[in-house]
Amino acid sequence: MKKLKGKDLTREELQKLCLGVLLFFGLIYGYFDMLLNPLKRRQSLTATNMVALQPEIEKAKEQIKRSANVESQAPQAAINIAQIDTMIPEGAAVSWFPVLISDFFKKSGFDKAVTRMNQEIADKETPGYRRASWSIDVPRVECIGFARAVAQLENEEPLIEIQSLNIEAMRDDPEGQHVLLTVQNIIK
Amino acid sequence: MPLRLNLYHEIERNRSASRRDPLKISLYVLGGIAAFFVAWYLWEFARLTGMGHDLAKTKAEFARVDPQAKEAKRKEEDLTRTFKTSEKLIAKVEGRFYWAPVLERFMTLVPREIQITKFSGDTQGEGFRKCQFTVDGLSAGADPRKVAEELRQSLAESFAKEYKSVEAKFRTLEDGTEMAMLDGKKQPTASFAINVQFRSGEAPATPAPAHAGDRKKKRSNELVPIPETNK
Repeated sequence: MKKLKGKDLTREELQKLCLGVLLFFGLIYGYFDMLLNPLKRRQSLTATNMVALQPEIEKAKEQIKRSANVESQAPQAAINIAQIDTMIPEGAAVSWFPVLISDFFKKSGFDKAVTRMNQEIADKETPGYRRASWSIDVPRVECIGFARAVAQLENEEPLIEIQSLNIEAMRDDPEGQHVLLTVQNIIK
Repeated sequence: MPLRLNLYHEIERNRSASRRDPLKISLYVLGGIAAFFVAWYLWEFARLTGMGHDLAKTKAEFARVDPQAKEAKRKEEDLTRTFKTSEKLIAKVEGRFYWAPVLERFMTLVPREIQITKFSGDTQGEGFRKCQFTVDGLSAGADPRKVAEELRQSLAESFAKEYKSVEAKFRTLEDGTEMAMLDGKKQPTASFAINVQFRSGEAPATPAPAHAGDRKKKRSNELVPIPETNK
């Protein structure tokens, strides 16, 4: 075997050394490219997924807590709504409201009161409830008694609001007045 | 001195060559590195497995919590809607405008020298609402116009105690053609119509004043609304 000039390694040894170096680089490349890097990528993906899920879980827990907090305040709102619902009779408003008004004015001493519905609109602010506008014509009233009746109506019927009122003296009856009311009522 | 011949020099040389074979050494080194790499790989694989377990746990927790959160959100929206409805209904009930106090106040202010022929009033809006009523009548006395003016003033003063932005104005004030009997005397009359406007309810919160810089930015020909002052 012939030794290379000035060196201890023979040609054959040098070739083997080169082969060893090549094998070493092949091993490094194969290991990192085919084994470790895909594993690291999977690790990174898993970690990313986990990190992404954590805030979602926290948010969900927060939502559950907040909802429970809101739920604890629900009974009072439910009571309020139930109270309002009990003030609204069943059925179409036109079937009970004119009767209610007529009875009320009869009780207050005014025999006749004619009630007509002007319009009925859905209220966006209060879903499930509507507003009905009515004209109430009371042909003859006595002013003081009528003012008392208005006070009673406003106190006894909290869902009714008088939008406008018109009291006019009657030419042929100086003691009496003719009244026209426009009221708004909350209905279902 | 005996002569010693090394007959195995070839074998020894081969053995020595074999011992320092770079390929063999390389293979040993590579084997060592490979063992280290395998250990490293196994370590990382174990880590990945652990992370996989953690992820599975996290996913399971999310799968448990997420439907609950969605249900809670739906319930919260329903409840919020109920709250809002309840609040609005109560606000509507409590924020009503009452005409009975207006009539009561008005009746106490009308003197015996005045006969009211018509009273008409209405309200507009919700919350801080605009209200107005118009009174038509006939005043009698030595100076019927003064009687009507006193009624206008007393209406303005009295309603200003209770309501905001009160304005009482004559729409008409004319001398009447007829004479009226008052205290056994015939008195001249005047027909009048007084309009009273006022505001009722809580005034909405006024926005914070704009900064000087913001004001400078406004174009000079831009109209700036003048805020209404409450009396």
